[in-house]
Amino acid sequence: MNIIEAENLSYRYPASDKAILDGLTLTIEKGDFLAIVGNNGCGKSTFCKTLNGLIPHFITGEFKGSVKINGHDTKTMTVSELAHMVGYVYQDFDNQIVRPTVLDDASYACLNYAYSDYLSRGKEALKLCGLQNKEKDYVFELSGGQTHLLALAGALALNPEVLILDEPIAQLDPGHADLIYGILKELNEVHGKTIIVIEHHSEYIAEYCHHVVLLKDGKCAFKLPTKEALNHVEELKEANIFVPQVTRVAYALKSRGYNWDRQLPISRDEGLEYFKGMDFWPNEKPASFKRGEVIVDFDHVILGYRTMSKKRHVVFKDLNLKIYEGDRLAIIGSNGAGKTSLLKMLVGLSKPLSGSLKIMGKDTSAYKPQDFAEYVSLVMQNPEQMFIADSIASDIAFAMKARNISDYEEKTAELLEAFELTALQNRDGRLLSGGQMRRASLAIGVALNPEILLLDEPTANLDMATRKEIMDTLSRMQDIIKTAVIATHDMQLVAEWANRIVVLHDGEVIADGDRDSIFADQRVIEEIGIRPPAVFDLAKELKADNRIYTVEEFVKQARV
Amino acid sequence: MTKKLSTNILDKLSIDYLRNQVLKNAYGNLDTVIAKRDPRVLLIWYLFFGLVPWFVDDLYFLMACFVLVLVTTYLAKITALVLFVFAIGVFSQSGYLFIVSLFFGGDVNTLIPLLILTLKVSTCSLASITVFSGLDPDRLANGLMWFNFPERLSFSISYAYRMLPLLMSEFQNVLLSFRMRGKAPSSEGFKGKVQYLIYQVKMIMQSFYPLMLNVAKRSRTTVEALEIRGYRNAATSKEVRKLKLADLQFTYDDALFIALSILWITAILLIKR
Repeated sequence: MNIIEAENLSYRYPASDKAILDGLTLTIEKGDFLAIVGNNGCGKSTFCKTLNGLIPHFITGEFKGSVKINGHDTKTMTVSELAHMVGYVYQDFDNQIVRPTVLDDASYACLNYAYSDYLSRGKEALKLCGLQNKEKDYVFELSGGQTHLLALAGALALNPEVLILDEPIAQLDPGHADLIYGILKELNEVHGKTIIVIEHHSEYIAEYCHHVVLLKDGKCAFKLPTKEALNHVEELKEANIFVPQVTRVAYALKSRGYNWDRQLPISRDEGLEYFKGMDFWPNEKPASFKRGEVIVDFDHVILGYRTMSKKRHVVFKDLNLKIYEGDRLAIIGSNGAGKTSLLKMLVGLSKPLSGSLKIMGKDTSAYKPQDFAEYVSLVMQNPEQMFIADSIASDIAFAMKARNISDYEEKTAELLEAFELTALQNRDGRLLSGGQMRRASLAIGVALNPEILLLDEPTANLDMATRKEIMDTLSRMQDIIKTAVIATHDMQLVAEWANRIVVLHDGEVIADGDRDSIFADQRVIEEIGIRPPAVFDLAKELKADNRIYTVEEFVKQARV
Repeated sequence: MTKKLSTNILDKLSIDYLRNQVLKNAYGNLDTVIAKRDPRVLLIWYLFFGLVPWFVDDLYFLMACFVLVLVTTYLAKITALVLFVFAIGVFSQSGYLFIVSLFFGGDVNTLIPLLILTLKVSTCSLASITVFSGLDPDRLANGLMWFNFPERLSFSISYAYRMLPLLMSEFQNVLLSFRMRGKAPSSEGFKGKVQYLIYQVKMIMQSFYPLMLNVAKRSRTTVEALEIRGYRNAATSKEVRKLKLADLQFTYDDALFIALSILWITAILLIKR
C-alpha cells in the first residue's frame, strides 16, 4: 500500500523565477525505509516540506500537481492534520526545540493539540528515543546527539506514520550516528513507521535503507532498491553522491576486468565475498617526515570549569602534549573527550588552572586572546561565527587592518584569489553556500600567517562534493601553513591528511602516533569507538598486514 | 593585591559568567519558598507591593514594605548579578539626586524626602525582582495567562528564556572572533584605560550586527517548527488553555504567605499608632 503519492508535482518559491520541483512523480510504500539523495538545490528539502503541508499551506508559492498522504490530498488538509501523519526533524534540529526542559519539549506538540495525556505521550516518545532518564534536564545541558534525539522525540510524540529526517547524522560522531540509525531501524521494523531520510552518507544508506530515490532537476531520476541504486556509480557521482568505498573499489577494478559480470558489493560482508582470494602488492613505506622544533608545549596542564550547579567539571587532569613544527596533527576522540577544550586553550579562551602552556617557547599565562593570535589561528566549526564584517573581503582584511599591516589590501586580494573567492568578495559570508562559507573561513584563518592553524571539524556538515573541495583546499594549504591541528570525527580525513594522530579519552592522551599505529591498535579502536575508513577494515580482513586507507591505494595495491 | 582584585572582577564579567547567572536566575532556584508559590498569588501580591508604595508617603509603611520585600528577595535566592544591577540602579538614582539637590542649596534635610523616594524605588524594584526572577518563567507565563493576558505574551516570556542561552553563546562566539582577530589598545595608564574601555564598548556594539543576522538565520527553522508543532492551534484553543492552567493550585502555604504579608504590614501600622 502506498502511503505517499506525489503526482506531477511542481513548485516554485515566491522569490525565485525557477521551479525547484518540476513535474515530480513518486510513490512511497507504507513501511519503507527510504533515502532521498541528490545535488544541493535539487529540491530534496522542498519535496519533504510538501509532505507535511508546510508547502503550500505555510510557505506560499506556485504549487501544481498533487501530493497524497494515506490517500488524502495535502491541499485539502491543514498543517495540524498533517502533523499527525508526518513528523519532521530538521537538519538544524537545535532550532526546532522551543521549550526549556526535555519532557516539556517532547510533549509540546501534544499539549498544543490539546491531548489531556500529553505528558505520558511525551514520555512514551522519549522512551522510544532512549531519553527516558533525561525528562527533567534542561535542553541546553544536552549533548548534540541527545538534542537530536529530543528533536526526534518531539516529532514522534504525535505518533505520525511517516518520519522525515533531513541529514540526521551530519553533525554527529559515528557513535551517535549509529545510535540514531539504530533507533530509526527499530521504529521502522518494530513500530512500522515509514522512514524517509535525506542522506549523503552512502555507507549508512547501504546499511539501513531499503530504497533510494535520486532527485535531479526537480524530478525523480530513479527509485530503486538500495543495492541496485548504489550500482549506478556514475549517475550518483554526477549528483555528488559518493557510493560506499567498497563499491568504489569494485567499480574501479571492474574497468580492469575484475568481476566484470557481477553486481557491485555495497557492504563490508558483500565486499569480503566479492574480493575473496584477492592478492595484494606489499604496502608502500609511509612517507617519512622530519620533526621540527617544539611549537606548543602543554606541561602538566589541569583544566576545569564550574557547571551551573557549582560542581567543578575537570576536563584535563594532567595533560602533557608537545606539538612540533611540521605536524599535521589530528585530534580524535568521542564527544566530550576534550578536543574543543584543547583548541580553546590554544587560542587563550580558557586558561589552565595549573601547569603551563608554552607557545613558541614563551609562557602564555599572562597572554590575552589577541596575543595568542600572533601565533595561533582558529577556524571555528560553524563558519557563520567567523563573519563579523559586512563582506568576506573585509572579514579577511579585518585582522591585518587591526594590526596595521601596510600591504593588507594586496594580501587580501591574494588570499581571495587563492581560495577562489574573488568573485564573491563583496558578499556577506552568511549568504554563501556551505562550501564557499568554509573556504572563506579558512581564508580568514590564514590571513595573519599563523605559526599554527587550528581547525575544528572542518568537514562536518558538508555534502561529499563540498567535502572533497575542502580536502583539496586543505592539501593545497600545506604550502602556506606548516603546522596544523584538526579536531575531527572524520576518519577518512584523518587517514588522508594527518601525519600524526592523538587520541583523547576522558581528557587523557591515550594514544599518539601515525595512522598505521593508531588504526592497528585494537584497544584504541574498541575502547573509543573509532571507526577506521571502511576500505581499511576491508583490506585488513582480506590480508592481515594490509595498511590501505583510501580507495586509490586499494586499487593500486590490488593484484588483478 | 589590587591587580588580583581587578583581574578577578574582569574574570567575573565574562560572558560565561553572565550566561550562568542568567540561567541560574531563570532555572536555578526552583525549590525556594517563592518559586513554589502559586503564580496568581504572587502576581496579586506584586500588584500591591509594586504599586501602592508609589502613592503613600508614610515612612513606617514604606519601611515595613521594604523590610518585607527584602525578606522575600532573600527567600527567592536571587543571583548576585541581579542584586548588583539593582544596587547600582538605586544608588545612582538617589545618589545623583542628592548631589543635584546639594547644588541647588539643599542640605542634610533633603535626605529625608530622598530616603522616602529611595524606599519607594527599592521596594517596587525588589518586589519585581522577587516575582519576576524568583518564579520560573513558565509558571510566571501561566500565571499571566490566567489573568487573561494574551497567549503571545506568555509564550514570548518562556521562549525568550529558551533563547537566552542560545543568544548568549552566539554572542560569545562572535565576541571571540573580535577578540582573536582584533587588537585591543594597551590599557596602561589612565588614557590607555579609557581607550581600552572605548574599544570594548565599540566591539560589543559591532558584535550586534553579526549576532542578529546569525540569530535571524536560525529562527527561520524555529518559525516553521512552531507551525508544525501546533503553536497556532494552541493560541486559539480553549482546551489547551485549560490544560496549561490545570497545574495552578492554590495551597495552604499560599494562604499563609498572603496572611503573613498582611499581618506584618498591619502590625507595623498599628504599632505606629
